[in-house]
Amino acid sequence: MALSVETLDQLQGEPAWLRERREAAFATFEKLPSPSKTDEEWRRTDVRGFDPAKYSRLEHLDGHKLVLPSALPKGVILKPLRQAAKEHPELVEPRLFSLVHADRDRFAALHAAFFTGGTFLYVPDGVVIDQPVIGQHFSHEGGTSVLPHTLIVAGKNSKFDYLDEYIAERDDESGYRSGSTEIFLGDGAQVGYVGVQKWGRNVWHFADQLAELQKDSSLKLFNVTLGGKFSKTRVEASLAGEGSNAELKAIYFASGDQFFDFHTLQDHRVGNTRSDLLFKGALQDVARTVYAGLIKIEKHAARSDAYQANRNLVLSDKAKATSIPMLEIDNNDVRCTHGATVGPVDPEHMFYLRSRGIPEPTAKRMLIQGFFGDVLDRIPFEHARKLVEAELESRLG
Amino acid sequence: MASVPKIEVGSDYKEKYGFFVPEDYIFKAKRGLNEEIVKEISWMKGEPEWMTKFRLRSLEIFRKKPMPNWGADLSVIDFENIFYYLKASDKQSKTWEELPPDIKATYDRLGVPEAERKFLAGVSAQYESEVVYHSLQENLSKQGVIFLDTDSALREHPELFKEYFGTVIPPADNKFSALNSAVWSGGSFIYVPKGVRVEVPLQAYFRINAENMGQFERTLIICDEGSFVHYIEGCTAPIYTTDSLHSAVVEIIVKKGARCRYTTIQNWSTNVFNLVTKRAMAYADATMEWVDGNLGSQITMKYPSVYLMEPGAKGDVLSVAFAGKGQHQDAGGKMIHVAPNTTSTITSKSISKGGGRTSYRGHIKIYPGANNCKSFVKCDALLLDDDSRSDTYPYNDVDAENVTLGHEATVSKVSDEQLFYLMSRGIARAEAETMIVNGFIEPFTKELPLEYAVELNRLIQLEMEGSVG
Repeated sequence: MALSVETLDQLQGEPAWLRERREAAFATFEKLPSPSKTDEEWRRTDVRGFDPAKYSRLEHLDGHKLVLPSALPKGVILKPLRQAAKEHPELVEPRLFSLVHADRDRFAALHAAFFTGGTFLYVPDGVVIDQPVIGQHFSHEGGTSVLPHTLIVAGKNSKFDYLDEYIAERDDESGYRSGSTEIFLGDGAQVGYVGVQKWGRNVWHFADQLAELQKDSSLKLFNVTLGGKFSKTRVEASLAGEGSNAELKAIYFASGDQFFDFHTLQDHRVGNTRSDLLFKGALQDVARTVYAGLIKIEKHAARSDAYQANRNLVLSDKAKATSIPMLEIDNNDVRCTHGATVGPVDPEHMFYLRSRGIPEPTAKRMLIQGFFGDVLDRIPFEHARKLVEAELESRLG
Repeated sequence: MASVPKIEVGSDYKEKYGFFVPEDYIFKAKRGLNEEIVKEISWMKGEPEWMTKFRLRSLEIFRKKPMPNWGADLSVIDFENIFYYLKASDKQSKTWEELPPDIKATYDRLGVPEAERKFLAGVSAQYESEVVYHSLQENLSKQGVIFLDTDSALREHPELFKEYFGTVIPPADNKFSALNSAVWSGGSFIYVPKGVRVEVPLQAYFRINAENMGQFERTLIICDEGSFVHYIEGCTAPIYTTDSLHSAVVEIIVKKGARCRYTTIQNWSTNVFNLVTKRAMAYADATMEWVDGNLGSQITMKYPSVYLMEPGAKGDVLSVAFAGKGQHQDAGGKMIHVAPNTTSTITSKSISKGGGRTSYRGHIKIYPGANNCKSFVKCDALLLDDDSRSDTYPYNDVDAENVTLGHEATVSKVSDEQLFYLMSRGIARAEAETMIVNGFIEPFTKELPLEYAVELNRLIQLEMEGSVG
């Protein structure tokens, strides 16, 4: 059975506006052409093998596990997204898919049409949650579509941390996965967001993690990409209010024949804004990664400060890393710096460790840990940091 | 009114440089491009049949290729409204005295004779589409160095020419290399034999001086094993009323252990579209250096590249771009590492002012098996006011083991601290800014021969003066 409007019937009990939106997104999906090699964004990213029709069974409609702090402060709404769409349409309807546009490409449209589960988190003005909120999204079987979507609304001067964990029960599962996030930060809000993608090694994964920052708000976003045979992730921060500050960090570890693609955007729409991006990845075996990031400083965004770096550690001669850090600067009163490196383990570091009697495999592991070390320290909260460290540890073997 | 405001490009050119010489042509082809015109160009030049066929094949490719959909906006180019071949004088001048007086007058203002007095070994100064003035120092010919305009080289050294022509940049490489291959005319041909070092830089001045005239010069440089040559091209052009197209192709072959340096100062008038393909092949232990300065033109798209074909090859690009009002400099460099143990560096400096736009566009590609390569790219951009724009588009593809690749870029304005320091010492603001800009591009200027460094500093000064008021 192919994906069709009938597929949507698997998603019962939704308000009419949401059903209409899904149908519109599906129409967009059918209308949009497949990306071709001449589209700059897809030149190095081959999606010809992806046939969504194979995965028409939507798994796990609301079946994710929310790990709540012992007591949620008053006024906080934390619910499965589809339930929230029904119960709080005034909060959900105007925001859902307003950052992640369904018409951006076929895959965004597909996600908007068939998103299955996910979380809605609303934190009212001035509310502080002192323990992290955790959403765990599981996939239990292969051959299905699991498409969670997270919508986070941070009220003025609110403060909290959120963790999305995408977990496969079987590491060798195949299927279609996504995990998109929209984060709205009100004036002065401080949000820590960590997304850890551990889907199975044979899935197709598409995700958009997008945030909009109002005046004096601060976002610390951390992406961890480990799963999928194909993973395309867009991380974008739109700095819409003066004094806002976005920290976008990521680590990725690609092995076997995995292919990871990252597109990032630091969009400085107004002045006095700051963004700091660091994407670090290690590649081994025949893995391939593509990083393409853009800092955009718009005309009136004076006194903006933007930084962008992509560092790749290439551990095998068959692995392939592409790095494209781009700048578009339309204002002169700014400070913008970017950098990219692709390289092996530093032979001098290796020599130092070996000369102290440390065997090569151990030394290599220590150097990889060291490579990730500085960025792991930037994970905004303890729980997520431990989780990611343990995950890396197990993958380094 | 909805009409596009007319941009006053280089309206003060006449006063600044004072060269505008009335047109006087012996042969003037019709506008537009078709088989007949291409055949006519080939016939006029008395070319061998293989070249006529090559041109016609290239024309086919040119027609099939789509316009690039990236980089600068090229949609305003009207290929049907261009003269593809012009000949200013039907005979080649051997000495300076024999040159037509109006051409000499133009060169006088450009400072060619002065440069010649000092050190010129051979000048190949291109007025219109063909080289008209040519002098080659005697000891160069004794060394076996060939320095000719490309048309003469095709006549006088057909075997050598055929062996290398079109091998580095085939017509099908891109739309504009196909166009050049179809209608090329003029340019320089240099052959440096094994082990010969050409101690003085070889120079050619290019000029274009007819309305809507395209210049499609074709340069081919062959450095045989262990040789060295430094070639300098400088361009200036007077003002026209409508757009003009310049689309050159430069092919360079640097054989084992040889070194070639190619220096350009491009200062076309600001209505010229400058779409140039430049590429070099560097073999074992060879060194190729591009020193590329782009000051003029309305749009420049130029990415000098080096294919590092054998171990030990080294590539270097040093690029400076200056974009003033209405200008877009889309420049950069490409390094293609085909063999292991090769190294490359790209240094780019760009300055935008008065609404100008500079883009750095670069590509580092390391092919599978090209292990132990090193590549480093550094781009600095200076924005002189908040109307201007700067972009950086570096593409880095690494496909091999043990490769070290680094890219760094910064974008900034003239620092307030530096300005304050200079102004507190009694230096006027405009002068202080000029000093800072000259300091910013110093790594580039210091690579130029003295005459060019002086000329460049003067040009920057002139450009900067325009910004006051």
